[in-house]
Amino acid sequence: MTDTTSPSTSVNRTRFRAELSAVGVIAVLLLVVFPLLNAQGVVSNFTLGVWGKYLCYALLALSVDMLWGYTGLLSLGQALFFSLGGYMHGMYLMRMIGDLGQYRMPIPDFLVFLGWKTLPAFWEPFDSFAFAMVMVVLVPGVLSFLFGYLAFRSRIKGVYFSILTQALTYAAMIMFFRNNLLMGGNNGFTDFKFILGHSLVDPVEGPKTMRGLFIATGVVLLLVYGLCRWLSTTKFGLVQRAIRDGENRVLFSGYAAASFKLFIFVLCALIASVGGALYVPLAGIINPEEMKPEKSLEAVVWVAVGGRGTLVGPILGAVGVNWLKSWATRAFPDLWLIFLGALFILVVLFLPGGLVSLPSRLAPLWKRLRGPSAGTEAASPATKG
Amino acid sequence: MRNTIHRFLALATLALTCAGVGTAAETARETIARAALAGSDRAQREIIGSLAGRSDAAIPELLDAWKRDELFLYAPADGQAPVPVQLTGTPDAAGTRTAVRIADGAPLTDTAGQPLRLIPSDLKAVEHTSGLRRAMKAVLDLVDLGSPDPATRIKAIDTLGKAQAADKLPVLRTRLESETDDDVRDKLREAIALIELKAADDATRIAALGVLADLHTLGSADFVEAARREAETAGRAEIVAAARTAQRAIEGHRSMVDLFGTLFRGASTGSILLVVALGLAITFGLMGVINMAHGEMIAVGAYTTYLVQNLFGAGVVIPFFGLSLAIPGLGLSGGAYNAYFIAAVPASFLAAAVVGVGLERSIIRFLYRRPLESLLATWGVSLVLQQVFRLVFGANNVQVSSPSYLSGNWTINEIIFGWNRVFVIGFGILIVFGIWLVLTKTPLGLLMRAVMQNRGMAACMGVRTERVNMLTFGLGSGLAGLAGAFLSQIGNVGPSLGQSYIVDSFMVVVVGGVGNIAGTVISAFGIGSIDQVLQQYLPSWAPGMAGVPFIGSFLQNLAQDSAVFGKILVLGMIILFLQWRPAGIFVTRSRSLEG
Repeated sequence: MTDTTSPSTSVNRTRFRAELSAVGVIAVLLLVVFPLLNAQGVVSNFTLGVWGKYLCYALLALSVDMLWGYTGLLSLGQALFFSLGGYMHGMYLMRMIGDLGQYRMPIPDFLVFLGWKTLPAFWEPFDSFAFAMVMVVLVPGVLSFLFGYLAFRSRIKGVYFSILTQALTYAAMIMFFRNNLLMGGNNGFTDFKFILGHSLVDPVEGPKTMRGLFIATGVVLLLVYGLCRWLSTTKFGLVQRAIRDGENRVLFSGYAAASFKLFIFVLCALIASVGGALYVPLAGIINPEEMKPEKSLEAVVWVAVGGRGTLVGPILGAVGVNWLKSWATRAFPDLWLIFLGALFILVVLFLPGGLVSLPSRLAPLWKRLRGPSAGTEAASPATKG
Repeated sequence: MRNTIHRFLALATLALTCAGVGTAAETARETIARAALAGSDRAQREIIGSLAGRSDAAIPELLDAWKRDELFLYAPADGQAPVPVQLTGTPDAAGTRTAVRIADGAPLTDTAGQPLRLIPSDLKAVEHTSGLRRAMKAVLDLVDLGSPDPATRIKAIDTLGKAQAADKLPVLRTRLESETDDDVRDKLREAIALIELKAADDATRIAALGVLADLHTLGSADFVEAARREAETAGRAEIVAAARTAQRAIEGHRSMVDLFGTLFRGASTGSILLVVALGLAITFGLMGVINMAHGEMIAVGAYTTYLVQNLFGAGVVIPFFGLSLAIPGLGLSGGAYNAYFIAAVPASFLAAAVVGVGLERSIIRFLYRRPLESLLATWGVSLVLQQVFRLVFGANNVQVSSPSYLSGNWTINEIIFGWNRVFVIGFGILIVFGIWLVLTKTPLGLLMRAVMQNRGMAACMGVRTERVNMLTFGLGSGLAGLAGAFLSQIGNVGPSLGQSYIVDSFMVVVVGGVGNIAGTVISAFGIGSIDQVLQQYLPSWAPGMAGVPFIGSFLQNLAQDSAVFGKILVLGMIILFLQWRPAGIFVTRSRSLEG
């Protein structure tokens, strides 16, 4: 896993080209063919919505991978940033319900339920979509900056960083579960009606809006993928991977590793946040369940299963594991968690490179099968993290 | 037969009480018998009223029976004077009940000496009017005053004082003269002072407030406040001043009680944190393994306790992947049943240790060099175990009955020390002491420390490091099991039991300094105390938070949820603390760069 991403050698260059063309094909399939099929009625609206959610999860997975796979920072707080983005967008969507809620009041239902007559001051600016989008960037950005600044300044790393990010997420979760926060308590936000004047629930307009959201999510994912790919080819990407492989050497070479880490931590928080913001209208709900420590760990599972330290791996893992999950939760509701846990143990123990490393690990085996003389060595040695 | 003995005992007590108090020549029973025979309602009221201040088990019994219409006048056939009797026991087939003479509590006998059984409808019932019932209540209110048990006396005096009825003053004063128990004396003084707050003349009220200031009990706060208000409206400056003095004394006492109560709760919260984190301090602290399944080890211990409990009790049927596994119970009860916990403690330790050793052998030993990945793999294990618990024991909490010896408290100077919290602290101390013994006084502890300090060197000296790893992990997991047995006594046992403690316990270990048991102890108690202090005092700080720019009202809103906000603040403090000491309270010094 040391060298898989730098496109310096010719082998890597061909692999890079192969990846790009694969990404291109998948992008066209997802962004053009899939919505077209949906418009024709071949793909159901439900399926489209579910796949839209997978794409949002892929953004979350990318943010985990940029930190873990590329910088060696296992953050267990990415679900927090994902949810924060979701909540910020959710506040706008709640305001767009207007007086169509259960209580027919001009403020969100849960506030009426809590006895509020007028809108709390901090809710007011969320009538504006632009403001909400600024907050989607600002809130997770500021939080991750503050946390990252403190954590990296005192050189908290490795497992400690993981535990602290988990604690941060946990603290935020118990806070969002409270009604007093005025963010919907344990029910969160739901029952959205409109986004930018387009209906989300109307039988005619709703599917069109969803299709638009789906395409937007796909485009954002493609852009983020491009950004990460570009970043990995720059000198910044090189330092990033150097920090992962030997932070002390980077320090001794005169690089301010903390600043690099802080930048990437904030960037990844923003990626996750944007994913969350796109997730909310597609899923139609956001609540503190999304901040549970398990959710962050699940995102790490997707990356581990797909293949960390690659950019295709996390996307593949997020979509694949979630697809498997929605199938398995219906087919084996009792055994699904055992299945997920076992998958995780097995991947960590036997396939540290994830699914994307499967071809290269199977290649020698394939060679041996083809001609016993060709391959002498067993599969490449297990990578070390 | 049993009844006879009972009555005999009652009589004996009665005789003793009479001898002790030495007031009336007539026993309470005789008085009541006389009242039952008295012709007029007024006479009855007077006779009953004369019982006031007497303490005798027969009084509540007989007066209650009277109110329940169980007292009758039995007219013997030979024309003698009617005998007041009480009918007790359940009616037999003919409707007859046992008759007991009120005057001496002895069974009513016929001329031949045989016990008589009577039918209620044949007899003349002893009537009672509402006026009489009031008189009885006045007597009953005072009965507990003479109870041999100080706690009962205190409770009765407290009720009297808070009712502030002036007619009870003489009785209380009389009692104060004969009372020997200091606590009861204080309570009597308080009650008298409370009643005197209603007195007409100022001097008495001021004196009463002086007494209350001297006693400064929390219970009198509301009454002093009311007296002050009243005096303020009436314009009595002296009383207001006296009331303020009393209030200051009570407030001072209240803050002392709050402080010690908070510290005590902090110590018990700290002990809980300590017990759940100690296992982790071994596996994470000493071995460097991030065991996300640590919480599930705790749950293993808790479920083992549940099983042992059922083994001692009625048995349990467990659905096990389609099969149902019936575990027969011993059907014990009482003290033997309550002793199940003693058996459950080692069982929980062993069960969790076995699971832990299995986990170490099958998964963790491959990941010693990859700590981040051991985190992920053990999380997988935790998911699997949680689901297994759900399938085996059900998704709901199982019932682990807390032994009766944990439900009670000591009250010292109005600070309440609940026994369950005392138990928590004691258990924590025991475990720490046990670990200290294991680590410093046993050969295994020596090997463990050697391997953890320098694995390579230890291996060179012939230590079988693999085996030591296994045993160390088993010990850590076993400690988690102990924590489970312990948590089952004070909280719910469910599949996600461990999840609620995992974040906290990691925090405790990180703050304490990895690889350091003493640090874990200090950090557990520190975090526990800070948490409780915040919970106690945050609501009182809430108004001050309104002054914070921009987010003032928001903070104020949150501060009302003191439990949650306190927790968040604690986590924030931990993050800031790690800025100052990134490696925790106690740092294991090493020259290694990657340390």
